[in-house]
Order: sequence, then structure tokens, then C-alpha cells
Amino acid sequence: MSVLKRLLSDRAASLGAAIILGLVLVAILAPWIAPYPGDVTAFHLADRLQPPSAEHIFGTDRMGSDVFSRLLFGARITISIAVIAVGVSVAIGVPIGLLAGYYGGFPGGFLMRTSDIFLAVPQIVLAIAIAQTLGPSVENVILALSLTYWPFWARLVYAETNALKKQTFVEAALALGASDLRVMVLHILPNTASAIIVRTSIGMGATILTAAALGFLGLGAPAPTPEWGRTISEAREFLPEAWWYAAAPGLAIFLVVMGFNLLGDGLRDILDPKLRKGSR
Amino acid sequence: MTSTKTFGNVDRRSILKMIPAAALGTMAFPAMGMAAGGAGGRYVHANNSAYDTLDPHTVNDVARVASRLNFYDGLYRWVDNPPKMIPWLATSHEVSEDGLTWTFQLRDDVTFHDGTNMTAEDVVYSLERMLELKQGAGSLFIPMIDPGQTKAVDKYVVAFTLKEPSAIFGSLVPSILVVNSKLVKANEVNGDHGQAFLIDNVAGTGSFTLSRYDPARGFVGKRYVEHFAGWGDNYLDEIEFRTVLETNTRIQGLMSGDYNGLDGYLAPDQVERLRSSGKVQVFEQESMRVFHIAMHNGRAPLDDKNFRMAMVHAFDYDGYINEIMQGTVARNPTILPGNLWGAPDVEGYSFDLEKAKSYLDAYKAEHGDEIRTLKIGTLAGFSETEQVASLMQNALAQLGIKVDIESAPWPVISTMMQSPDTMPDMVPYWKSTYYVDPNNWVGELYGSRYAPTRNISAYHVDYVDERLEKALVITDQDERAKLYEEATRRIYDDAAGIWIYNTKWYGPYTKNVKNVRFCPVGNGQDMRWSYVED
Amino acid sequence: MFVVFFISNVVPTDPARIVAGENATEAQVVALRTEMGLDQPLYVQFGRYIADLATGDLGKSLYTQRAIADDLLHRLPATLELTIAAMIISIGVGVPLGVISAVKRNSWIDQLLRILSVSGLAVASFWLAMELQMYFSTKLGWTPLNGRIGGWGPDEITGFYVIDSLLGGDWASLWDTLHHMLLPAVTLALPAAATLVRFTRAGVLEVINSNYVLYERAMGFPTSLIIWKYVLRNALISTVTQIGLIFGALFAGAVVVEAVFDWPGLGTYAVQSILQSDTKAILGFSIVVGIVFIGVNLLVDIVHTFIDPRTIQ
Repeated sequence: MSVLKRLLSDRAASLGAAIILGLVLVAILAPWIAPYPGDVTAFHLADRLQPPSAEHIFGTDRMGSDVFSRLLFGARITISIAVIAVGVSVAIGVPIGLLAGYYGGFPGGFLMRTSDIFLAVPQIVLAIAIAQTLGPSVENVILALSLTYWPFWARLVYAETNALKKQTFVEAALALGASDLRVMVLHILPNTASAIIVRTSIGMGATILTAAALGFLGLGAPAPTPEWGRTISEAREFLPEAWWYAAAPGLAIFLVVMGFNLLGDGLRDILDPKLRKGSR
Repeated sequence: MTSTKTFGNVDRRSILKMIPAAALGTMAFPAMGMAAGGAGGRYVHANNSAYDTLDPHTVNDVARVASRLNFYDGLYRWVDNPPKMIPWLATSHEVSEDGLTWTFQLRDDVTFHDGTNMTAEDVVYSLERMLELKQGAGSLFIPMIDPGQTKAVDKYVVAFTLKEPSAIFGSLVPSILVVNSKLVKANEVNGDHGQAFLIDNVAGTGSFTLSRYDPARGFVGKRYVEHFAGWGDNYLDEIEFRTVLETNTRIQGLMSGDYNGLDGYLAPDQVERLRSSGKVQVFEQESMRVFHIAMHNGRAPLDDKNFRMAMVHAFDYDGYINEIMQGTVARNPTILPGNLWGAPDVEGYSFDLEKAKSYLDAYKAEHGDEIRTLKIGTLAGFSETEQVASLMQNALAQLGIKVDIESAPWPVISTMMQSPDTMPDMVPYWKSTYYVDPNNWVGELYGSRYAPTRNISAYHVDYVDERLEKALVITDQDERAKLYEEATRRIYDDAAGIWIYNTKWYGPYTKNVKNVRFCPVGNGQDMRWSYVED
Repeated sequence: MFVVFFISNVVPTDPARIVAGENATEAQVVALRTEMGLDQPLYVQFGRYIADLATGDLGKSLYTQRAIADDLLHRLPATLELTIAAMIISIGVGVPLGVISAVKRNSWIDQLLRILSVSGLAVASFWLAMELQMYFSTKLGWTPLNGRIGGWGPDEITGFYVIDSLLGGDWASLWDTLHHMLLPAVTLALPAAATLVRFTRAGVLEVINSNYVLYERAMGFPTSLIIWKYVLRNALISTVTQIGLIFGALFAGAVVVEAVFDWPGLGTYAVQSILQSDTKAILGFSIVVGIVFIGVNLLVDIVHTFIDPRTIQ
């Protein structure tokens, strides 16, 4: 509770939390709040590329659809890509890091070497290679991001676990006859939680940026999916005249990533008192 | 501001005038623009894809046509619109009584860029190389001629012996681009037919010689002064074809004068933008590039005519042509370009969801209400195919049919299309001109002999096959026209595809570019006739 | 011997930093580093990459039949040049601003810089590239639209146009190269500069609050002297620590930025390969990027050993 209270007292972090909350609400309520909910797949060819107006606050696109409505539906795609990809990465990375850190030795070393291989190449490059091999679709973007992102969590948890397992409370628990699994899940994992949470919040922002870049490069969902990255690439041939077409999704990405970054910064300040207010 | 070679030359020219004549000898620049009579000049073209190979025999696409047309020559040459074939490396030909042997008389005054005289041996080597590499235009010849069946009858006479008589071999002859056999053989590595050499080098007789090449950038060609066809009063001294992937950048660059010309198949919004800038001239020509949605006629429910009739009435032709394409293209009711002989005079199917629904009801009465989800494949990066698929998806949703759109790069889609098992239910794409004969469109897409690799429609109807086959062997054009007309009409009646429009070519050039000679085969990139006015 | 030393002591810290990144606490980095110094995780992999590079054969492009390794090596200088330019910009802007932000802590300028640095990390680089291009090139005409140079570039010696034009005394090419480089480099540099501002600020604050600085301040040394003496040196060290990471981020970011500006480097090659579904070329591209990535980290670690005596333990 005190964490939440402190979070709310930090202006930047609460702004971040508000943005994310807004995004989630918008994604859920898109069919009700979008002025033209049908415009994800319905087109009005006579109204192509109209500038922003009272009817279309962010203008219309190359098919005459309402940019704002499509943006709201795009939030659903963005948020599901980020949540699933990061979720899968955490689900793969955390147990691996935990096991490798706790047991060490050859199996632990092997797991960590595997993650090193993934880390040797920048994430977006690896994700491009994977997404390209699998073919363009939202599912494959999620898969590519998950496959390239888990080592970050594995490494993080591995380092923490490695340090924690030598601590007295772990030794005490073991002395009292707790099983390895119990120690890992009940004693070590909770102590790595704050690092995981901070990493996850910032990781969401990074994932959204990478996913948008994949969409921009044509590796994401096909048309007429209102994914933000692909909307920007669609809009490109209509610049500079139809400036609203690219500006709207770009600003949306900016806002959402900013939200996650602010929240992540705030969480770190709170969860890691050492660096509080010396924050970066 | 951007400094470009185009501007650079102007500067250079004025600088040159100031430099004493003695100093000129040490300068590496060509003395371009210094010749009297307004001749000469430099042309910079921005292309939408990379010139990653200069080999004339491994690719046969529009994207890389410029290197083939400007560095190499064929036996005959396509020019103008409507396209006509003019004698080129060969002066004439005759066909044997049985229609199998085609004998070409070659010019004796043709030299390659290294000065070697071109002979029949070079033609033999070139065709054998095409058959051997099985890429590019070679695949057009493989069905009709076997390796070893091309003979040098005389130093300047070459004979091709075909497997069966062919009415279209003649129109393929311009695709036999002749390479310098001595030079290529000298550069063969491990029997690669000189592929490693020709990818970066030119061994042709063409109008321009290669002076610079960078696969990441493009190429520069210099006028081949000794070209056998000679040069008139006006010509280009230098051509540069540069890769500029972004449409927007190409447009901006043309308007600012960085480039002199672009590929002519721009979206109408772009054409409008260029026109209104006042800095660009846009040549308009009806091309032969039919945009259509290929349908898989062999897979249920598309194997049923009622269902296909529902499909052809479910596309918003007018909305697409008038709004998205802003009326810049002409409706084309069948697969044959309307401006080609043999095209039947029929009215295009209309967008009419009521009609579509009644056809669909007829289908359901026979086959039940259950209709599976259809799959449309689109070409990644080609927004027109995406827009067409989106419109189709929307219209079919109104008919209660669900559509999945799957996007993939062209090489992937084209591989999928070549097998009836992997061909999506529908694929929107362009059928371009590889040779100017109805067979290029109707024969290859709906004739059984081309199944499954080129007849991707899985359309097999005896009535049509009989006519298409007959048209391939007889040579009388009127008779052939009638056969193609009948076949195409039947295909139209069967609603075997959704035919949308025939492309117009809007060639955008800076105002000083003169005498662009457009031909659907060369897409306005055959630069030997053009020049830049000072 | 030196090689073995470096490989066993220096290379293993590489993933530690990637993981640690700017989001990690110093404790995590230290923990990772200590732990990873014990083994040689990248050794095998490093060797394999070197072996790949040594044979120099990444196969042929499915689409063009060109040797992929040749194509990539030909384009590498363009990407490196852009990356290095962006790096210089990000350090030149990010470090001083970070110091200012720390020294003037909680002032309006600190707040402004914090907002800017958070924003810099949140913007999608391809979008920023498009918007900057639209404004500065299309509308204002201040910068070239695309490419690396207007003509064909200076006589090729190293493939780095800046170096080549300097060597050849070709000032027109030098100017043209820099002019073309400006917008892509700035776009690329922005997130890195933002990272550096945050990192430098935190590093400097840590030093300012440390006991010996407090002591010297108590002794009456002028603040500016203290800042020069300790703070900048430490800022330098923490920057070098980040350079490998930043280089990696810039190099990866170049893929997308290059695509927007038609910069004839690895990124444009990768995007073309995507459009042509040239899987082998993409694989080769990732390998070359990996090699460069590892090589730079190795280099950074060597430099780091020299300027920060603490790493030798």
C-alpha cells in the first residue's frame, strides 16, 4: 500500500500511471468511444485524406476512414503485443534465471550461455530476422519479440538470485528443511520482484517501440489492421500534404512509451531507495 | 542545398570555360556539353528498387529494365506505343516451311563495347546461357527450344530450331540480349557462365557503356559513340540510374531537380502533386499492365461459377478507379489489355452487392450455407494490393463471407502462387508486358499448358485451351485475334478472375528532358532516343 | 597472452552491461560483473563469430546471387560512419547537459532536461526521422532529402566518406557528406543523448554526494574545482562504460533510420532483403551486426581498463 501511496505522490510516476490507465481504458472501450467504430474495415473512398475537422478530429486516411477511430483500435493491438510479448519473456526469462542462478554449475551455465547468444545481437536486429523468417503477422511479431526479449529477464534474475542465495535468510530457510523449490519461489523470487517490476515497466515501452518499428518495416500485421507502426508507413507516401495521417499514430506511440517510462522511473525510485531522487 | 551531379555539371561546365585549354588535358571529366549544336547532356533517373545485378540474363523485371535496355541490345527491339518491333541486331528473319526453324540475318557492323565484332557465335552463346541459367527471360524460351538447337549457320546468320511451331517466338526475340561471348568465357569461374563477372560488368553492344556501378547506389553509363545504330543530333552523353527506395524522396528529388525522371507507375496522389508543382512534365500513355485479382478456380467454393459471379460483382471498381486511383487508370473488363489486338468488346462487371447476393444465394441453394473463410494474399510494400484486398474484405463481409488478408513479399507470394496447394484464394497483382502478344496475358494465365507455374488460376476449360493452343501455332494475326477474342470472352463469361484496370503510365520528367520514347516493354527507360535541353 | 587475458576478463562483461543497461542499479551491474568475470560466456561465441568472419563466406543472396559478405562489408562503412557521427553528437550533447542537470539539481533547467530526456527515449525513431525530413528537407529545404552524398562520393580509400574526402583534400565532398549526414545522425543520436543525460546526471550526483567530495567541500575547496577534479573524471568513466551499450543501440537504431533516409548502409540492405524475403541475407546481416557489436564492446572494455583502475582487480 505504501508503494502505491508513494507512487501517487510522485508527479511523474502518477502521470505515467494515468497514461497507461488511459491506454487500457481506451483499448477496452474502443468500440464505444470511437466516433466511427466501423472504420477499421469500412471505407469511404470519397472522403480520402481529409484534414482534421470537427467530424474527423485527426482527419481521414487513404481509404477515407477516420484516423482517430483507427488509432483507438490500434491501441488494442499495441497493448496486446506489449503485454503478451513481455509476459512471455518474463515467463521464460524469470524461471530460467532463477534456476540457473540457484543451481549454477553446468546446467545453469548452459542456460546463461544460451541467453548470451541472444544478447550478442541487438534485439531489433534479431527480431527482424525472426519476424522475417516467420512471415508478417501480429502473432509472429509477438513471437519474435518474446524470443528476443527473455534473456534480459533471465540475466537480471540470475544475477539477483546468485547474490541472494548466499544470504542468511536463504540458508536459514534451507536449514529449517525447506525444499529448493520452496526457497526459490517463496524466499528468493519475492526479493527479486522489485527489479522485475521496474524492468517490466520500462520493457513495455521498449517493446512497443520495437513492435512499431517492425510494423513500419512491413513485418507486422497486414492491411487494413490499424496497427500504429504500419499506419505511419502507410502515411508516408502522403507526406507532407497529409501530415495528420502520420502525426497521430506517432504521437500516440510517444505518449504510451512515455507513460511506461515515467512509471518505470517512478517505481525504481520507490523500490530502490538507494537511487531515490538521484534518479535518472 | 543538395549538390548533385546535375547541378555539378553545370558548375563544372562554367568552370571548364574558365580553365585554359592546356589544363583540360589533365582533367578526368568528359567534355560533356561542350560539343556544339546543343547535343549531349546528362540524365539522372531515380528508381524504386535496387540495381543489384547487371546480368541481362538472370532477371527480367520492370524494376531493373534500365540496365538491360541501355547496356545490351536484342535481335529486334520494341519501341513506341502501341509497341512495334523494329530490326536491331538482326536485319530480317525467315521461318521454315514447318514453322520450326527461325533463321535471322545479323548485321555485320555491330561491335561490343571492347571493340570486338559481334557474330552469330555470340547469339548462340547468349541463348544457350539463358537456357542454362533458367532465370530471367530464359524461362520464356525453355518451353520452346532445347539447348543445342541454336546454330551459327554463317558468321552473321543464326538459326533457332524450336520444339514445335510457335506464333509467339517472334515477339520474344527482343529478349535475346546478346553478350560478348569471348569476354564472358574469359571470365568464367568454375563453369558459372560468367555470372560472377556479369553481375558487376557489362559485356554488351548497347547504346551506353558502363562507367560506374555500385549495387547500393546504381549505375552510370556513358554514350557508346560507336554504337551501330548511330546517333542523331541530339542525345545523352551520360545516364545515371540511381536507387531511391522512398517514393516521397523520389518525388521531392524530381521537383527539386536532383533527378530528371522517375518510374512512371506512381500513385495518383503523387502524379497530382508533381503536376501541380509546375516544375515537371508528365507524359501520359496507356500501358499494357493489367491489374487484376487472380482467383483460384480449382478450389471450392471458387470452383463454382455462381460463387465467382458473386465475387466479380463484389468489387467496387468505380470507387477504386475514381477515388483511390482518381480516374488515372482505365477500366479493363478482361485480362487482355483493352488497347491490344484480340481483346473482346465486353462491358466490365459492375459493383452490385444485390446481384452478388443473388448469385451467392444460387450457390448456397446448391452447396449449402456454410462458406469457409477466404484468403487474400497481398504484396508487402505494394499499397494498391492492400487497398484492393481491404475493399474486397469489406464487401464480402457485407455478404457474410469472412476474409483473411495475408501479406508477404513478392518473391514469397509468387512462390505460393505457383502451386495449386499454396496459392491463396485470391491475389491482386499486375500482369505486365514481357512480350507484346495476347498470349502474355490470356494464354499464360488461363491456358492449361502453363499450369501450374504461370497459369495460377487453375482454370482448365477445353473450349479455351483449344483456341489458345491453336493461336500459338498459326501465324495469321487476324485469325489469331479471333481465337484470343473467343477464348477471352469465355473466360470473362466464366468470371475466372476479377479484372480491374489497365495501367496508364505517367512518366514524370523534368521539363528539359525531351523525346522520351515510351514503350510498354521498356517503361520509358530506354534512353537512347532522349536528350536533355540546356 | 594479452588476447587470452582480454577475452577471459573483458569480453564476459559485455552481456552484463547489455542486461544492466541504464535501468539497472549499480549493485546489479557490479553483481553481474563479479559473477561473469568468473567464467567466459562469450568465449565460444566470440570464437565462432571470428571463425565465420575468417572464412568470410556468408553465402550468396537468394535474390541477386551476390556474395552476402561482400555486400555487407561494402555497406558497413556507411553505417559505421553514421553511427559514429550520431555517437559524437550524443556524447557532445548528452554529457555536458547531464553535468549541468546534476550541478543545477532541481532547478528549472534540470526539470526541463529531465522532461526532454524522458521524451527523447519515448519517441519512435522512424517517425521522428520522417517528421524531421518532412520539415527540414521538404518544407525548408535546408538539408538534403536522402542518401550519403550528392554525387558518387570521394575517391574510395576506406569507404568512410569523411575520412576519404579528408585524405583526398576533397572539401566539396566533405561538406556534402556532412550535410547529408546531419539529419540522420541527429535523429539517431536523440535517444542516446537522452540516455547519456540521465546516466551522467545520476553518476555526477553520486559523486557529489560521496564522502570525499563532501569532505573537500567542507575543507573549503571551491565547488568548480571539485567538479573539475572529481565529477568530470567520473562522468567520463561512466560515459565510457555506456559507450558500448550506446553504440549497440545506435547501430541497431540505424536499421530503421537508414531506411527512412535511404542511407546506403546495412539497414537499407536489411530492409531490401526483407522486401525480397532474402532470409540468407538477413541472417548474414544479423551476424555482421553481431560481430561489430561484440568488437565494439571488446574495444570499450580495453579502453575502460586504462581509464578506470578499479576494473583490474
